[in-house]
Amino acid sequence: MLFGRHQEVTPVLEFLIPNNVVCHAVEAMLLASIACSILSVIIVQINMGSIGFTMAHAAFAGAAVGIFFSLNPTLTAIIAGLAVAGLLGPLSDRARVSADTALGALFGISMAVAVFFIAYLQQIGRGFDASGLLFGDVISLYREEIYALALISIVAILLVTLFSKEIAAIIFDRKIAEAAGIRVKPVYYGLLFMIAMTVALSLNIVGGLLLYIWLVMPAVIVLQFCRNIREMFITAPIVGACISVSGAFAGLNHSLPVAPLTAILFSIVFAIAVIVSPRRRVTVRKN
Amino acid sequence: MTDAVVNLSGVYTAYEGAANPSLRNITLTVDRGEFVVVGGPNGAGKTTLLETINGMLRITHGSARVCGINLLEDGVGVRRRVGYVIQNFAFDPLSPFTAGEVVLMGRYGRLGYLNRPKEPDIRAARQAMKMLGIEDLADSPIGTLSGGQQQKVLIAQNLAKEPEIMLLDEPFSNLDLIAKRSVSTLLHDLARAGITVIVVSHAFDDLPPRPIRILVMNRGEVTVDRICTPDKVEDVVRTASGSDARA
Ligand SMILES: Nc1ncnc2c1ncn2[C@@H]1O[C@H](COP(=O)(O)OP(=O)(O)OP(=O)(O)O)[C@@H](O)[C@H]1O
Ligand SMILES: [Mg+2]
Repeated sequence: MLFGRHQEVTPVLEFLIPNNVVCHAVEAMLLASIACSILSVIIVQINMGSIGFTMAHAAFAGAAVGIFFSLNPTLTAIIAGLAVAGLLGPLSDRARVSADTALGALFGISMAVAVFFIAYLQQIGRGFDASGLLFGDVISLYREEIYALALISIVAILLVTLFSKEIAAIIFDRKIAEAAGIRVKPVYYGLLFMIAMTVALSLNIVGGLLLYIWLVMPAVIVLQFCRNIREMFITAPIVGACISVSGAFAGLNHSLPVAPLTAILFSIVFAIAVIVSPRRRVTVRKN
Repeated sequence: MTDAVVNLSGVYTAYEGAANPSLRNITLTVDRGEFVVVGGPNGAGKTTLLETINGMLRITHGSARVCGINLLEDGVGVRRRVGYVIQNFAFDPLSPFTAGEVVLMGRYGRLGYLNRPKEPDIRAARQAMKMLGIEDLADSPIGTLSGGQQQKVLIAQNLAKEPEIMLLDEPFSNLDLIAKRSVSTLLHDLARAGITVIVVSHAFDDLPPRPIRILVMNRGEVTVDRICTPDKVEDVVRTASGSDARA
């Protein structure tokens, strides 16, 4: 289901195909980057980096399992991402194992499952090109996927606007937020759910290996310039979307792999941001 | 009984995953406007008592009502009316919040979902900062303040909440001599205004001049519960903790 989608386009529209493809690719990159960038602010600020990282790989494993059993890989990716959220909650709450250790284990399991099924598929001659899952594929997308991405972006924007107080308090300090009378757990699990959904839906576009760039870089870039959460929530999706759309255009125009190119663009912008960041400047005068 | 704001009866509290309860068979009634000092050795269960009263820990046995609310049913409702200044805090120097924003967060719980802070909330936050003499820190990033300054911000945050009960866990530990005295006076004023103050402390030299109810805890139980003058508090705590340590 994930692959070989070009065939669905009827030959009548052949002269339009390039535009259609570019259009879809740009739309997908734009929407995926908006959802990911908003969540990146939360991920970076609550130190959920390892959760995002693990979810991205679990979604990758879920998709591989989906392909093996001929199920909808997006659906199995969502389930795998949610499973990480579901398993991590009890593990880190009970604190028998540190959350980082638990995530390390879940990451290992995800990779084991993914590699096993991909290798097995190849061994039994149902081999397929795993590069789409690994590095993303903006060329072959379904319209439904773009709608789903649009929906998740809107939900992400609504979530951080409607629950800005709660999210800010949790970012500040979970315990203090709880003592203040905020229902921390529902908000926290809501965020985990959003991350799992976003990761699964973005998987096809940017790929399991590179997804992490979208889940941290936008926030890390704007962090170099922003002083408060509000500014970060506004600028991160703008920066993320600009870089992603530029990457999509550049990649498609010059026949370069889109998601990897965009990931490199993110890295370059990040390097520049760190170098020019006003945060690094020391402006203390002696008198 | 009518004016009791804390009403614990045979309460046992356990930390998640712990084999033994950290609080054992606590029966405690505290009235509106009382000033309670909780003493006892490290690990006695003082912090656990405070977090039981505001419903952050799981009560395994017994019944508990705080501010007229059944704790086992509505912990969030209780926490919206109870201030709690935590013992251990360490804010990241890069934390993207100013002291003023942190104080305003005291209002978030009672505001409820979807409501934004309005004029009265901002006024309450400003007023609370003034009471602690930290108005000039309002725009400073919280993580760049000193330990004592951060402590004052957290106290102000809970004042801004306008709580019915104020729980404070060693609020003096980071404060200088002058700040200790002024916070102590502030707590005295709160109690006179009808707010119940329950403070865990090892510093007894700056207690307000009023009858103090003293609770001494030992191994998860309240071993002493009596009212005395501020100058006697230290003796009571020392004797009670000492005798138990020998036992
Ligand atoms: N998160 C936790 N999980 C399990 N047990 C805990 C936890 N926190 C505290 N305890 C246990 O509960 C008991 C009471 O701890 P508590 O923190 O209430 O002591 P305290 O009187 O506040 O001590 P201190 O003066 O050091 O602050 C201790 O025996 C401690 O081991
Ligand atoms: Mg303590």
